[in-house]
Amino acid sequence: MTMAGQDRGRLRKVRLYGVLLVLFGVMMFPFYTMFSSTLKPESGLFASPATLVPTEPTIQSYLAVWGQTDVLLWIANSFLISGGTVVLTLLLAIPAAYSCARNDFVGKRTFLLAVLVGQMFAPVVLIVGLFDVVTGFGLFNSYLAVIIPAAAFTLPFNVWMLYGYFGTIPVSLEESARIDGASQLQILTKIVLPLTKPALVASITYTFLYAWNRLLFVLTFLTDAGKYNVPRGVFSMVGALQTDWRMMLTVSVIGIVPLLILFAFLEEYIVAGMTSGAVKD
Amino acid sequence: MGFAEDYTEPTSDSRLERGLDHLQQNSRAYLLIAPTIVFLLAVIGYPILETFRLSLFRAPSETSIETFVGLQNYVEILNSDVFYQLLWQTGRWVVVGVAAKTLLGLLIAVHLNGDIAGRKFFRTAFLVPWGIPYAISAVVFTWIEHPQYGYFNAILIKLGVIEEGIGILGSPEIAWIGTVAADVWIGTPFMAIILLAGLQSIPEDLYEAAAVDGAERWHQFRHITLPQLKGVILIATLLSTIWTFVSFDVIWTMTGGGPIDTTHTLVTWIYQTGLENGNLGMGAAYSVIGFLLLMAFAVVYLRVYTSGGEEL
Repeated sequence: MTMAGQDRGRLRKVRLYGVLLVLFGVMMFPFYTMFSSTLKPESGLFASPATLVPTEPTIQSYLAVWGQTDVLLWIANSFLISGGTVVLTLLLAIPAAYSCARNDFVGKRTFLLAVLVGQMFAPVVLIVGLFDVVTGFGLFNSYLAVIIPAAAFTLPFNVWMLYGYFGTIPVSLEESARIDGASQLQILTKIVLPLTKPALVASITYTFLYAWNRLLFVLTFLTDAGKYNVPRGVFSMVGALQTDWRMMLTVSVIGIVPLLILFAFLEEYIVAGMTSGAVKD
Repeated sequence: MGFAEDYTEPTSDSRLERGLDHLQQNSRAYLLIAPTIVFLLAVIGYPILETFRLSLFRAPSETSIETFVGLQNYVEILNSDVFYQLLWQTGRWVVVGVAAKTLLGLLIAVHLNGDIAGRKFFRTAFLVPWGIPYAISAVVFTWIEHPQYGYFNAILIKLGVIEEGIGILGSPEIAWIGTVAADVWIGTPFMAIILLAGLQSIPEDLYEAAAVDGAERWHQFRHITLPQLKGVILIATLLSTIWTFVSFDVIWTMTGGGPIDTTHTLVTWIYQTGLENGNLGMGAAYSVIGFLLLMAFAVVYLRVYTSGGEEL
């Protein structure tokens, strides 16, 4: 390579990293805002214009938040709602996806397409009808009022994700197990599901995040403040007469910590799940 | 296919018997999908019918008295200025939002696609805004845009662009931009990740051939990257359009549709009318209009999806 070529290559690298860092800065800015704000003492938070770097950082707000808000309760509720949604979704999706992957029956294509179309009916355009159904079944103000709709709207993704993955597992593996006398349930739990781990992790993560992050169902179907999840808790602070910004931002930071941990460990599975539908080889 | 051994030639050609035979042979397959069908019919199918039914009634939620009014609700909607204002506000919310997400996502994807040190770290970091509660993102953006204490105004003041903080979310003219900003931040990671995956599936040798020809970077991007990425961009923007159209949490948390209803979109209006104001019939009628729009997107999406994007 000539000197000029080398220079140009280096220049391109600099530009590449330069643009990347600017984009990174823009996308991370809201996190910086929330985090740095929570490190300011109460007086510092309400300086105008805002100081971009906290002058006397303090963790005061993190000590106060446990007593002043129900953040722990909200996180516990979020785990309960997300966990329940994951269990219900998988209980329905695994048999359905397995059945479609292993059998050719009349109506299979229709079923799979109908499931996909079902997903298009986003919760918010259904909310009026759903409200009638939830109250009609006497579910209002129960965790199930949130878990059942969340499961319905995560089912399509799960069915398709698992259907695609089951199809890649050779039938011969199951047949030899059957010859050894394994029951259908044993084959599914001992042979097929362990091989499906990547798809299962992607499904579980997606479902967990979906149920953790959505405000709509909790807002509509749970009025009992003792059952609020993190988004609903944060929302209740917005609605308060005087917004307590310091506590609200502190709750926000704490509310996303479990998710950051999840992301750090499961990023690859999340990406696999996100791209499974859109990018086909 | 454990049912193969049970298979016997159908003795009659009658459709009914063949149908029964098929059912019998695949009984276990049907049994396994049955719970999902029942569940989806109950939780999605039935509410759809219920929404259509309610849209023909005057149904205040505080009483259980429903009065049949036929198409009155629809007539009222189509004759109201509010509806056309809502369509305009929904349109700008979707078009500006999706365009910004696509462009930003593409920019990120292209810059992550190279031989970057710490790519996994960057990819994870860029993904996070997508995976946290929308209500939290909305709260953080409200704080950023705060007229007195917000960082956005502080930066503009420091740069000398403005002298006094602007109350973005309080101004009817620009409040919608304040809400779009949050939604774009949330939706960009999906675009970036999908497009990055699309970029990585482009065969390397296409670029090598072009490099031999001495093609410039921009040329490469226009004549190789974009055409190769067309299908993925199409699917991703369609999905993003659907999700942006039905996005509720952000607007509801940031402005509740205000000031003077200027940040409402069709879906926040559904919620406001049907559940906040307790006018279930009107809310349902607005929902049906929302269905129809969604179905239009869905039909396009399914056609593109099942044809692998080749058709367009």
